[in-house]
Amino acid sequence: MSTPDLYDLREIFDLQKIMVCFNGPINAALIEEIGRALRDYLNHQQEAPSAVADIFAVYIEMTQNIRRYADQHQELTGASSAAIVVSREDEHYVISAGNVVTRYDGIALKERVDELAGLDRAALKALFKTQLRQPREDLNGSAGLGLIDMARKATRSLSATVREIDAERSFLSLRVVL
Amino acid sequence: MNNLEIAQTPSTPEVRADSGQGRVFMSGDSYPENPFDFFQPIIDWIDDFLKNDDRPLAFDLALIYLNTSSIRAMMDIFDRLEESHLAGRSVSVDWCYDPDNERVGELAEEFKEDCTFPFTIAPRS
Repeated sequence: MSTPDLYDLREIFDLQKIMVCFNGPINAALIEEIGRALRDYLNHQQEAPSAVADIFAVYIEMTQNIRRYADQHQELTGASSAAIVVSREDEHYVISAGNVVTRYDGIALKERVDELAGLDRAALKALFKTQLRQPREDLNGSAGLGLIDMARKATRSLSATVREIDAERSFLSLRVVL
Repeated sequence: MNNLEIAQTPSTPEVRADSGQGRVFMSGDSYPENPFDFFQPIIDWIDDFLKNDDRPLAFDLALIYLNTSSIRAMMDIFDRLEESHLAGRSVSVDWCYDPDNERVGELAEEFKEDCTFPFTIAPRS
């Protein structure tokens, strides 16, 4: 194994307009620090405060979902790591995050994301309000509310891709375009 | 009854609950990893105040960003205020925000939709 060529890596970052990229074990302190760096960077770019708020909100929901999932699946190898990328695409910001999930959860989460894609703004708002009032024990810290919130902020439908790693595990990537 | 004072952190708001004045002040971002741990003492304080007293309770809010779990916790708080209001108690919320960030106003409006007590949402001048 050789050291990755930083010039090549930088080329990829520049080409894909990647502003922030993180890959590794994630915890609450790191989520906070990266979030702060992201906000500072966006404010420095003179981005509109409401745009900064949306990007920050999606980043937090995504990373906290991954943290919560890792807590609930401590036996799942690699689940405590997250890959997070914030990039630009034309006039949009794109926030992507990936993590290791069970094969079953990968399929279920992709189905959930695809279901949300079929809903318009009013339906998403109604669903959000219904979910808010679900008894806490029924939610069981599920990603439900966070996904709906992200879908409401996004300018396009959320997209999820699942790649099988082995017989038990998949890598789930979620992409949100603001 | 005790007052409640919680200092602000990057992921939790400053909270001051004054039983003498019947006022609760909350300011800042809220996205703690364990929102129920953070909010439970606040909810307990509110329950105590509403149960042991019949004076008005007023909320001054300058909350900015709430993650979805914090939204849920705030909804629990507003539900308690609504219940007290329907029982004849005087309760109110004043939510003040920076007009440059319209997301805060939109969030406050969504809370207000489910409340019939006085709920003002005011851009800071």
